[in-house]
Amino acid sequence: MQEVSAISGNSVPADEPKLNYINNGHTLKSWLLTKDHKRIALMYLVSVSAFFLMGGIYAGFIRLELLTPASDLLETATYNKVFTQHGILMVFFFLIPAIPAILGNFLLPLMIGAKDLALPRINLLSLYIYWIGGIITLWALMQGGVDTGWTFYTPYSTTFSNSYVMAVGIGVFINGFSSILTGLNFIVSIHTMRAPGMTWFRLPLFVWAHYATSLVMILGTPVVAITILLVAIERFARIGIFDPAIGGDPILFQHLFWFYSHPAVYIMILPGMGVISEVIAGFSRKRIFGYEFVAFSSIAIAVFGFLVWGHHMFVSGQSIFAGLVFSFLSMVVAVPSAIKTFNWTATMYKGSISYDTPMLYAIGFLGLFLIGGLTGLFLGSVGLTVHLTDTYFVVAHFHYVMVGGQVIAYLAGIHYWWPKMTGRMYSEFWGKISAMLIFVGFNLTFFPQFILGYMGMPRRYASYPEELQVLNIFSTAGASVLGFGLVMPVVYLIHSLFYGKKAADNPWMHPGLEWRTSSPPPTENFKEMPVVTWEAYDFGEESGLDLEDARKREAVTI
Amino acid sequence: MTAHGDTHEHHEPGLQHQFEDMHQQEESVSIGMWAFLAQEIMFFGGLFTAYLVFRWRFPMAFAAGSNHLDEFMGGLNTLVLIVSSLTMALTVYYAQKGNRTLQVVMIVLTMLFGATFLGVKAIEYTDKYNHGLVPVTGWNKKVKEDVSAPHVTEQDCTQVGHGDGDDHYVNPKGEFQWKDCSLVKLAQDHNYLTEDEKIGYFTNGEIDANKFRDKVRLFYYIYFVMTGLHALHMIIGLGVMLWLLWKAWIGTFGPKYYAPVEISGLYWHFVDIVWIFLFPLLYLLGRHFLH
Amino acid sequence: MSDNHAEHEEHIGIPGYLVIFLILVFGTIFTYFSSFWDLDSIFPGANTLLALAIAFTKMMFVILYFMHVRWSSKTVWLAAVAAFFWLAIMFAFTMQDYFTRISGVFSV
Repeated sequence: MQEVSAISGNSVPADEPKLNYINNGHTLKSWLLTKDHKRIALMYLVSVSAFFLMGGIYAGFIRLELLTPASDLLETATYNKVFTQHGILMVFFFLIPAIPAILGNFLLPLMIGAKDLALPRINLLSLYIYWIGGIITLWALMQGGVDTGWTFYTPYSTTFSNSYVMAVGIGVFINGFSSILTGLNFIVSIHTMRAPGMTWFRLPLFVWAHYATSLVMILGTPVVAITILLVAIERFARIGIFDPAIGGDPILFQHLFWFYSHPAVYIMILPGMGVISEVIAGFSRKRIFGYEFVAFSSIAIAVFGFLVWGHHMFVSGQSIFAGLVFSFLSMVVAVPSAIKTFNWTATMYKGSISYDTPMLYAIGFLGLFLIGGLTGLFLGSVGLTVHLTDTYFVVAHFHYVMVGGQVIAYLAGIHYWWPKMTGRMYSEFWGKISAMLIFVGFNLTFFPQFILGYMGMPRRYASYPEELQVLNIFSTAGASVLGFGLVMPVVYLIHSLFYGKKAADNPWMHPGLEWRTSSPPPTENFKEMPVVTWEAYDFGEESGLDLEDARKREAVTI
Repeated sequence: MTAHGDTHEHHEPGLQHQFEDMHQQEESVSIGMWAFLAQEIMFFGGLFTAYLVFRWRFPMAFAAGSNHLDEFMGGLNTLVLIVSSLTMALTVYYAQKGNRTLQVVMIVLTMLFGATFLGVKAIEYTDKYNHGLVPVTGWNKKVKEDVSAPHVTEQDCTQVGHGDGDDHYVNPKGEFQWKDCSLVKLAQDHNYLTEDEKIGYFTNGEIDANKFRDKVRLFYYIYFVMTGLHALHMIIGLGVMLWLLWKAWIGTFGPKYYAPVEISGLYWHFVDIVWIFLFPLLYLLGRHFLH
Repeated sequence: MSDNHAEHEEHIGIPGYLVIFLILVFGTIFTYFSSFWDLDSIFPGANTLLALAIAFTKMMFVILYFMHVRWSSKTVWLAAVAAFFWLAIMFAFTMQDYFTRISGVFSV
């Protein structure tokens, strides 16, 4: 055990291929039965991207249908299925696993200085469970799909819907255990696998964010699993606790469903916040402002996130007292998110910012998350919500958080760690173009929806009054730009795999532990067990990472 | 995975490649199991919440339904599970001591008691099947109408006592059967019906036997889902024990390596704990109304 | 569970396990018979409260001794406590809705 030789930033690796996790074994078996967290992460990347593509195609159909006021492209029944399947694929199969299962899986052991996650076989099992859940869901979609909305509200889903609710429910149920196992693995690894010297307050904030996410995954997901199981039993047995005809209680379904599904939106945003913390600190070349506050705000979000679910149910018939309590706590949960946003901005203040692609995404995230978060406060207040519930205002709000937050953060992360994951540099030029296209396209798509919602356009309908057409055309046009912007990274990232410049071990000259091993890392992650002697985000001169070095690097690369 | 195999000078049996030493491995496995149990607690927690809500809304229906469960069988099963928990704890004890024979004996005993539990449960389920107490239509014993039997007149449901009506039992479609609403009358007389019950059991101010039956049916639905899910966990536990039995038989476990016994034990005790709560909550409600 | 291999010698041993077992058996029998007393005449729900109190005590004995939490690391304590804390959140925040549905007070 000796200290890792600090930085090998400017040394471009020699041409002879080193043994790394990618070329260490080429058979199919060496991938499918691997216990290496990095290979599992890559397999997740491919699978999750496939689901993202499918969900995106459904979104395309939705926007095309809404181009004209009449319901002409799709039958209304088909439209119900299209938006449901868009929701289910995006929420359960893309947003929830995207950052934890891909970036988290790949980076968490590297960041804490471990050879692997604590339970590698459980990790592989979670991938297989994801595949099984995904295949069952896809099978159900091919059979005819489901039309309940991704929320499976009873009693429509249990008693009336004639679509494949049970099959999709079972797919989602199984998929839930994939994220439970991922979360479990992360918690255990963060507790027991940290390298010598890697104290809790030297952990990168990415790791803190994933710890908080894992808490929600472990404590929330089983509740939605049992709830969906009850829905499936109820459909099968034709009797159950959610059926109001015999004294059952549909509101109870909503309580149980949102007990998970509201914290689940924090599963969908917390890892993104972790990525943004890394990227903003890195490209401002500054220690993050208020490290402890950002770290503990992640945990606070995870805990308080469990106390606010009733704000989805203001008009459902829950008691007014409950509505007031949930409304108040919804305001409280906004505080830790605001702390994060302030601290990111303060980190950039007087930093030496370089506008590389990941940083462009991260800055986009700041703006979009701000809008998404603040409109959330509108929806969390009991009075306003009556006007806005089930309108496009809600749709725009959660897309600003989910797409503007998580998807943008996911792209920032993929670009940031792409050199580490693949050992190749992507085209910086096209990266910047796509980041800006996505930002413009996204705003063009979803900002008009705020206005539409405020004017009263309800969600989940295939047709709308003619006077709303102009804004809908803007939205659809924006969706085209957004779609084009999202396809671009796929093209140039794949291109970089074959023709990209070889990446240095530390192309950005950043201090994290993941940058102190080779790119791509060897199977065992570190040649020697690393001993951590520096604080997180240490850009100080003694670390060898000062600005001059970074300037030199830029002079070399551009 | 080969590259760092040589970093361990003293390679201990059962040490996996990602860990530095046995202590780290044991701690990881144990925290992992506890995180899994936290997950399990929330999984059952969803059902307990459902129980709580309906118990709050329809306490009399729950008491009535509970009175028809066999409290003796339930109590017996609780004792059986507690004995199995003791033998499981002793399994871990003997694994730590490295006593192979007693380890195997204790695992076999644990499995025997686990199987006894499931056997008693099966007897109870059969009983419910025979008496038309399974909440799902068509899943009860179908009893054809017997023309020679004396015709059952429409009884006042408040007059039906515990266990009455079995002689003229007719159930051609295998539906859920419930005739006894004496508890509603009792609660009405003593004025402790809840708001939901005042709506849920009555039609035009009169006790409605069918509406009450539906609420009792909800109790039985919750009973079957909870105990069924618990039984499923027992079956999984038996599978784990079978694997453990084989491992113990070939002498895998000793003072240095017994983590699998330990975490299987945690699972087994957890299933026991769930039953410790299910027993009073399902079987022992409103017993005092009978005496 | 144990922090080192010597420590498990300090667990309660066979007599200790038997004592815990007898406590659990006594608890079960006590729950069984107490359910026939009419405690609800003292205050509504007293029967259930007593039954739950006994069940909770039994659970604590199983967790602390059979599951060795008494000798376990802080992280294990944290996991156990967190699970019950979150369970309490679910119960409390669901029931605060149902408890306040009394007509004319907070509901419409």
